[in-house]
Amino acid sequence: MKVAMIGWEYPPFKAGGLGTHCYGLTRSLADKDVSVDFYMPKTKHNANSDKNNLVIKEVGETEIFPYDRPEDKEIPGQFFESVYRYNDLVAEKVKGNYDLIHCHDWLTMKAGVALKEKMGIPLVISVHSTEYDRSGWLYPNDWFINIEKEGMEKADRIIAVSHFTKRVIVDKYGINPDKISVVHNAVYPLGEGKKQNIVLFLGRLTIQKGPEFFLKAAKKVLEHGENTRFVVAGMGDMFPGLIDKAVDMGISNNVIFTGLLTEEEVEHIYRIASIYVMPSVSEPFGITALEAISAGTPTIVSKTAGVAETFKNCLQVDFWDTDEMANKIISLLRYDPLHKTLAREGKREIDLFTWERVADKTIDVYNRVI
Amino acid sequence: MYFEVHQPMRLNHFSVFNIGADHASHSNYFNQKLNHEIFEKVAKKCYLPTNNLLLNLINESDGKFRLSFSITGTFVEYCEQFMPSVIDSFKELFATGAVDLIEETYFHSLSSLYDNLDEFEEQVKMHRQMIKRIFNYEPRVFRNTEAIYDNRIAKKVGDMGYKGIITEGTEKILHWRSPNYIYKPVNSNMKVLLRNYSLSDDIGFRFSSRNWPGFPLTADKYAGWMSRADGDLINLFMDYETFGEHQWTETGIFDFLSHLPREVLRHEHLDFVTVSEAIDRYQVVGEMDVPWAISWADEDRDVSTWLGNDMQVACFNELKNIGQKLKETGNDDLINTWRRLQTSDHLYYVSTKGFEDGNVHAYFSHYDSPYDGFINYMNVLQDLKEKAL
Repeated sequence: MKVAMIGWEYPPFKAGGLGTHCYGLTRSLADKDVSVDFYMPKTKHNANSDKNNLVIKEVGETEIFPYDRPEDKEIPGQFFESVYRYNDLVAEKVKGNYDLIHCHDWLTMKAGVALKEKMGIPLVISVHSTEYDRSGWLYPNDWFINIEKEGMEKADRIIAVSHFTKRVIVDKYGINPDKISVVHNAVYPLGEGKKQNIVLFLGRLTIQKGPEFFLKAAKKVLEHGENTRFVVAGMGDMFPGLIDKAVDMGISNNVIFTGLLTEEEVEHIYRIASIYVMPSVSEPFGITALEAISAGTPTIVSKTAGVAETFKNCLQVDFWDTDEMANKIISLLRYDPLHKTLAREGKREIDLFTWERVADKTIDVYNRVI
Repeated sequence: MYFEVHQPMRLNHFSVFNIGADHASHSNYFNQKLNHEIFEKVAKKCYLPTNNLLLNLINESDGKFRLSFSITGTFVEYCEQFMPSVIDSFKELFATGAVDLIEETYFHSLSSLYDNLDEFEEQVKMHRQMIKRIFNYEPRVFRNTEAIYDNRIAKKVGDMGYKGIITEGTEKILHWRSPNYIYKPVNSNMKVLLRNYSLSDDIGFRFSSRNWPGFPLTADKYAGWMSRADGDLINLFMDYETFGEHQWTETGIFDFLSHLPREVLRHEHLDFVTVSEAIDRYQVVGEMDVPWAISWADEDRDVSTWLGNDMQVACFNELKNIGQKLKETGNDDLINTWRRLQTSDHLYYVSTKGFEDGNVHAYFSHYDSPYDGFINYMNVLQDLKEKAL
């Protein structure tokens, strides 16, 4: 079987779970004798592969990334143009004998649809997030929604990263549920480090990820007299506002903003954090939770996150319920047996979340369309 | 046949912010609204209809259908608070003379596992007083919480004057022997009644399971299995909620029960006895040596259901230690609250065994996860601890 896969990011460069997913998936597919040509934009960091039947093909350059929004790009007006141009370029460059096309999220859906029509082969699309998630369900942008809707309608099969996302695809995009398979994400386990007194938030600082709820919970924990540090790792449009907020709340002495971290720094901070909190407003899956847990870090996630529907050994809260979030953080700080049991059982459960399993389920989807 | 009748006192949400915040908070530990709702629901689905059916079956058989109940103190408190008609229907059953009552700890607690058995003895006495008050009866047979049993417990129960004790007929203690005989503890002259878990679980767990070869289970088929069993007696012990609650009406469980006495009595060598009659009628065939505690819970048949992880052990130890301090204060209100917190269910909710499969533990728990169960229970214990100082 030979697959033309179209992505947008691939380690060493990545901005989110999409890149992590593509890396784990393509490598495990290659191990299972599926040939993959992975098409992506050229970046400063060279992505490459050490596997014979996995080839990374960089096609041209673009300045747009999957989590960008037209309103905060320095090139207003050119945003949409840029996306169209890149999709046209991909559609032109993808050549060869493929059994199917597989693309990920909105950025490459137009190219996927064009290639399906041009080459007459099936199209599979993976949905890692929708416009509704990225906008935090506030003012979702129709331009993205229309691209996503067209891609979903034209696709022969859709892979959703959770039942939560499957429901969004059915309810908001009007897609037949029978066409959608749910494949939960996986993780390459990180291994545990020496724990420090750190409560960690890690993610894009956007409305979707709920960083302000993390700060509110932090304030309650600190007011309760706990002596701990809160680390906000990542970058995003809310960055300056969050710093101001921490100052206003009077907790800036105990809150550290790291800005954007390198891959190594991310792994390090997962290893040394005592607690990881993922208070996302809308989280199709949440691979970061699996990464933290694999580093032996007890994790608190939003009840509605995709990961919460499949992973048991974590704590769950409503993202808006910062009292309960603080209750759980303090309980983890105070009750050692809780911390230990969650760390141990979490690592045990993580072993079930392998990319090999993701590849198997993805191959099942491929076999249904070819 | 013996049925366990129990309802725990489930807790309210209690966060770390509540600890020490309110002088009278202990009166709000328990979620009376939820407890009331569940009690009423189960009473309508199970207690009232099953009691009614059993009464008819006893009358129809002229008292040949005989059975026993163990009823906890917390259950009786619910009856008296929410639905006195339930306790009346138990009284009516007892008045037939075909029903025996079994002793246990008032609070369905794990006090038998404390280093010192004084608290255990007090809770058994409380149960004794409760049964005496309501039924004017003194039970002769004891069954510990979830059939937890070891040599130490057997010795204590024997010393307290009981003639018989109930536990699980597990291979762990039986080895090659059959549960269908009476045994005695190595260190006491009581008689031990052993639950036949295979036949008991056919009703309690497997009755409605479609991929079980015995499905569908009919009363005549089951009576046939009983008639072919070896030994003197078959102890069928199960949760009373089996009828109408664990197994819904739609599964046919009530039809099964209503035909069972007649089908059993069709076999000449089968009849029904209460637990007291069983220990009078049958002789001891061998000894039971049980140095490590067993129980009827889970596959493991030990105490790991309640003390299987660090969180459970931490709560258990905290609970034990608070008790010593509380007793020094002599505050009856706080001591009673502490005892209600000893009900084994609170620790059961914290079990992580088979958690990923969402098995029976999840079915019985009102918490989202064992971790939530731990946080809530531990927070309550911390609050009570502050009050004990």
